[in-house]
Amino acid sequence: MKIFKFFITKIFLRKAILSISIILLLFMANYTTFIATRSILSTFQGYQEIKCMNQEGIYIANLDPDSDVDIDAIGENGTQIVYDYLNNNFNYAFYIDGFMVSLPNIDDMEISLSYMNEEYYELNQFELSQGTDLDFDYQFDKDKEIPILIGKGLSKTYPVGSTIKIEDPVLEQPITLIVQGVLKQNAYHSNFYDLNLKKYYNFSIFLPVNAEFIKNANIDLQLMNGLMDIVILQTTKEKTVDLSEVMQDNLGLKFNFFSQEENFDYFNEYYLYSLKIMSITTLILLVIITCLSIWNALVSIRLMLRDFTINLLVGLSYSKLRKIFYSYFGILFFINLIVIFSITAYNRYECWLRKDATLATYGFFGLIGMDWFALLVVFLSDIIIGKIIVENMLRKIKKIPISLGVLQ
Amino acid sequence: MTNIIDLNIKEKVYKNKKTQLSILNNFNLKVNAGEKIAIVGESGVGKSSLLNIIGLLDIDYNGEYTLLGSQTNNLHANELAQWRNQKIGFVLQESALINSLTIEDNIKLPLLYAGSGKFFFKEEDFENVINAIAIKPILKKKPLECSGGERSRAVFARGVIMKPQIILSDEPTASLDVENRERIVNLLFKMNKEFNTTIITVTHDLEMANRHDRVIHLERSR
Repeated sequence: MKIFKFFITKIFLRKAILSISIILLLFMANYTTFIATRSILSTFQGYQEIKCMNQEGIYIANLDPDSDVDIDAIGENGTQIVYDYLNNNFNYAFYIDGFMVSLPNIDDMEISLSYMNEEYYELNQFELSQGTDLDFDYQFDKDKEIPILIGKGLSKTYPVGSTIKIEDPVLEQPITLIVQGVLKQNAYHSNFYDLNLKKYYNFSIFLPVNAEFIKNANIDLQLMNGLMDIVILQTTKEKTVDLSEVMQDNLGLKFNFFSQEENFDYFNEYYLYSLKIMSITTLILLVIITCLSIWNALVSIRLMLRDFTINLLVGLSYSKLRKIFYSYFGILFFINLIVIFSITAYNRYECWLRKDATLATYGFFGLIGMDWFALLVVFLSDIIIGKIIVENMLRKIKKIPISLGVLQ
Repeated sequence: MTNIIDLNIKEKVYKNKKTQLSILNNFNLKVNAGEKIAIVGESGVGKSSLLNIIGLLDIDYNGEYTLLGSQTNNLHANELAQWRNQKIGFVLQESALINSLTIEDNIKLPLLYAGSGKFFFKEEDFENVINAIAIKPILKKKPLECSGGERSRAVFARGVIMKPQIILSDEPTASLDVENRERIVNLLFKMNKEFNTTIITVTHDLEMANRHDRVIHLERSR
């Protein structure tokens, strides 16, 4: 310990520029690894989530980019005809979110409402930590309670069985909800078009939507979001072409419907390709940064050669020097891990400070599973980078005889 | 008299990409405890290489070496380092100091590796050494703030601080004026007289060499 302290205070830190530059390079390497690993993992999780959509007979609606959208020209009759056509001819999964309401809760968060029908709920297999699954066969009546699921964050204020009164933004009337179950901690939904992005359900309410609910909802629910990502189940390409025509005739909007194969192709073209690019770029960046770190370490050796060899002359052994180098880089990597941990924990905590209901998460010391996994990858990459740097430094020192090094 | 060095070198080879140089062919050396030996010879004959081998800095040669009754060829790197720390003192040229440390820290550097239990260092020993070579006023200075003579004395102090049984000095007075040269030589010989320390000096200075008990002339291998 005495020898290590001596090297830190009297040798390494005396060459401040070299020490700082190596710390910065190693931090760059670590942070790049961390961000890339987390993005890849998050995209992979998103892919796992939408995999349930990539099944035979499932078609996902997508507004044609060339279609002109004139909301004012769309009437209630038009949307009702489309929904009647849907209800009579198809099974479809319906999901919309993004409606925020104020609801008292101990964390003082704005609450996000997510509406989904039974097909969507079954397709996604949400896991619960308490209570029972959503019930879609309720009678829609303003005096009756609607069964709901809530996120973990709300369960502290509203346990299973409690009731909530809200002014529903899509029904545009006050309704009473009864908590039927609590979603598992950090349940999330990935963006279909950017799988890396997630919304967390810790402060969300899942409202079950049935045909009667849609009939009573305003056009925002029916059209703006409801039809945009609607998922048609157990159907054929021909039937979706007919549906597309009905939608065009009644809404004036052109929708495309993509099959499992097309979705996979789309995924391969965009996500898998971007994943590959991200992995390769990170790897190249890591190799470059590692090479720069080695170069920096070798320059340090050249400048501190006499210091090292004088120590070797008076009793330091190469094996002790190796331990000193590993300990030194171990400390640098540990500091980097602590810094990355702190930045990530603060970012997660910031979502709570901002009262951002869709990004607030629960985790061990503030970090969720994917953060810890990315930190583990950083730790493993540090072992490899550390070994490469230290062994190269030692090779350089051993190449120069002690008797020459002391007089350099 | 006790024989403390028994060295038989068959060959020491230096290689680079283009050439190969063989020195110290069939070289034998026996040294008794308390002997003062000077090694002289032209540049390139292997004087410093011989000192590196004796000082356990170089173990890459063909031959056998018994030091203080122990065969050194099979010693582990850690043991070699321990021997360099506790049994051998190196007195080199004045530039062999760490510039970021004070003179005091430079002198006390071997103590860092002495460990505990085996070596008992008394602050009084340090005082005796620095008083003998008159470097007390520069202890808190950095090497670059000192003169060449002061640095040489600091290198000497570092070489003797552990009271080694053998002192190896490589051109210790090469860059010194007469006064400082005498001071260093006298200190070396004083160590020899008081503690029966074996002194092996590599030098180009024949006058200095002749003040030793034995002078070894190295010649180029034929």
